[in-house]
Amino acid sequence: MRRLPVYLLLDTSGSMTGEPIEAVKNGVQVMISSLRQNPQAIETAFISIISFDSTAKQLVPLTDLASFQMVDIKASGTTNLGEALKLVATCIDTEVAKTTPEQKGDWKPLVFIMTDGIPTDDWQIGLEEFKKRKTAFTVACAAGASADTNVLKQITENVVSLDTADSQSIAKFFTWVTASIGVTSTKVEDAGKEITGLSELPPPPSELNIVV
Amino acid sequence: MSYLDNFSNKTGMSTKSVESIITPGKIYPYVDNGEPMRGGMKDVYFAPDKSYVVAFYRDEQDYNTKERLRKIVTQYYDNFFNREHGDYYKELYCWPTDMVEANKKVGLIVPAYNKNFFFKKGYATSEGIKGKEKQGLWFASSKFRNKQFPLRLDESELGTWLSFFQVNVKIARGVKRLHAAGLAHSDLSYKNVLVDPVSRAATIIDIDGLVVPGLFPPDVIGTADFIAPEVLATKHLDLHDVNRKHANRTTDLHALAVMIYMYLLYRHPLKGGKVNDLDTEKDDLLSMGEKALFIEHPTDLSNRPKAGQLSKSALPWADVDKIPYTVTGPYLKKLFDEAFITGLHHPNLRPNADTWEQALLKTTDLMQPCSNKQCDQKWFVFDNTAAPKCPFCGTPVKGTVPVLDLYYQFRPTVWQPENHRLMVYNNQYLFQWHVNRHVIRNERLTAEQKVPVGYFTFHNGKWVLVNQKLTSLKDVTENKEIPVGTMVDITDGKKLLLSNEEGGRVVMVTMANNPQTPKQA
Repeated sequence: MRRLPVYLLLDTSGSMTGEPIEAVKNGVQVMISSLRQNPQAIETAFISIISFDSTAKQLVPLTDLASFQMVDIKASGTTNLGEALKLVATCIDTEVAKTTPEQKGDWKPLVFIMTDGIPTDDWQIGLEEFKKRKTAFTVACAAGASADTNVLKQITENVVSLDTADSQSIAKFFTWVTASIGVTSTKVEDAGKEITGLSELPPPPSELNIVV
Repeated sequence: MSYLDNFSNKTGMSTKSVESIITPGKIYPYVDNGEPMRGGMKDVYFAPDKSYVVAFYRDEQDYNTKERLRKIVTQYYDNFFNREHGDYYKELYCWPTDMVEANKKVGLIVPAYNKNFFFKKGYATSEGIKGKEKQGLWFASSKFRNKQFPLRLDESELGTWLSFFQVNVKIARGVKRLHAAGLAHSDLSYKNVLVDPVSRAATIIDIDGLVVPGLFPPDVIGTADFIAPEVLATKHLDLHDVNRKHANRTTDLHALAVMIYMYLLYRHPLKGGKVNDLDTEKDDLLSMGEKALFIEHPTDLSNRPKAGQLSKSALPWADVDKIPYTVTGPYLKKLFDEAFITGLHHPNLRPNADTWEQALLKTTDLMQPCSNKQCDQKWFVFDNTAAPKCPFCGTPVKGTVPVLDLYYQFRPTVWQPENHRLMVYNNQYLFQWHVNRHVIRNERLTAEQKVPVGYFTFHNGKWVLVNQKLTSLKDVTENKEIPVGTMVDITDGKKLLLSNEEGGRVVMVTMANNPQTPKQA
């Protein structure tokens, strides 16, 4: 019933080109496949991916683990973190069900932010919007030496940093995100039977041979 | 004195060793690759041959906890396993066998899980969980058995509905034995019980949280879904507040009832449609705590799951109209009522583990194989109606079904019903525990008592009981002895004396689903 929404805000600016962006893609894949081995996570966790470079885009809307499919991401442009914060606020409004007298709502979302640089937009406007939404926790990860932890600390008190933005460090970050989702889904609720709807039916066959 | 001689080795694969603090000189090697499996409180390392694990507590433990652990691996270990039926109990638990200490960190030596508790195949459509542990939740949630769900379990992993009765019997026996020793598990849940419906086995793990009499209880509240309402309702109070409710035998009994319900119906008995607060966290706390209400309460319907809010992948089990808890039969219905209605907020009224065990076993005597080979459940509890059918696939029962009601001698010539009924199916066996009321069907049965004494079969158009071992079987209706190696017709109204020994029972036959003489069984 109750879903645990998880938003991943990933920096796809030009500085992520090469090893870092490949590591992020790989990190998401490994995270999904390892969460798919965790029955609690399958029961509750729903994942969304938001990328930010010169614009912010929700690449994957809030999706259950069984049907999650990663899309290709490319690194280019600037670091519009503020826009991403504003976008995640809008997504929370539209995607996370509120408890009403008739229906049990979702759990408060978990938000993970990863960036390797300094925001290039007016990030404080975005932050203001974001702060109006309730989250279970928000974690910001500063990947590599160019990331500004001071900015991130204004977004959340939970800031972690990776010395380098190489594949090994980024993989570790995703391992940790995976563990956090696993632990939280266990803690909040163990046997929710959330709505997954039609999207989880297998795709229709590409060709039908029907003899009439 | 015990410590690790090479504990300080940095990363990389290395074999280390640690010494028992119970038996000085006893050394346990283990492999440290720098990344142990991390549990809630412990780091777990495998033995080089994987026959055991060493589980170190990450934090330093106080005197009280160490004493508790010491008792668990010594006194209670001996009481449980180094005596009669000890081997049987070894299968029901993964019990720590020794205690070690290194660098002020205590650890436990725990045997590796049996092979049957790892997935042979896992998912139907991928290798994702092949070789992983069969944590109970895989089998307590309807999703993983829904044919439309991409991450469903392979059919070869699911067992039949009957398997889950046997799995539940094992769990109930495990809990019964703990409680008989004055212990409480304190964190029974589908995370702490491994389940294998294929071999019909279950084993209770995480024994180190046991509440031991005379010592302070461990500081755990339990696993969400299984925490008793009174514990949740008082968890805001200080740990030492007299009104704060802690894990004990009766909270185990709540968890046990929830688990049995979930393994038979693949849904949670308290998670329904009722909203108790507009704040999600508060609502959850109230709905599982102070305001907990059985979703199938017969008169208060306010927590029934709302049809429009059910996930497709949770169907059909999430739909209490389609599969009500009464499909589990009269004995279990009564216990579910006691656990989730009368006893939900009155811990002392909860059925004990022994009662669950007996009700589960008696219910297996009411079960019939489904004649539909495609039926997912394969077995069902006979519903006692004039037009009986499998409640899961809807296949009607074909032909007559003999119903045997068991009676015991109350005083000479006066026989009273036992409230125990045996539904006959083709090639079903009759056992000593049906024949004599002094033979109790539990883990103490001898090998001889597990051998059938007769069987029922549909032969030449009629039902018969073939006598294999009963030396004083008598057809009371016809006043005729039925010697070993012969058979007796099973017909409507017939009375059979199964044994003339002390405790021997009489059975009375009623033919159900009888087209000639329609009659309520």
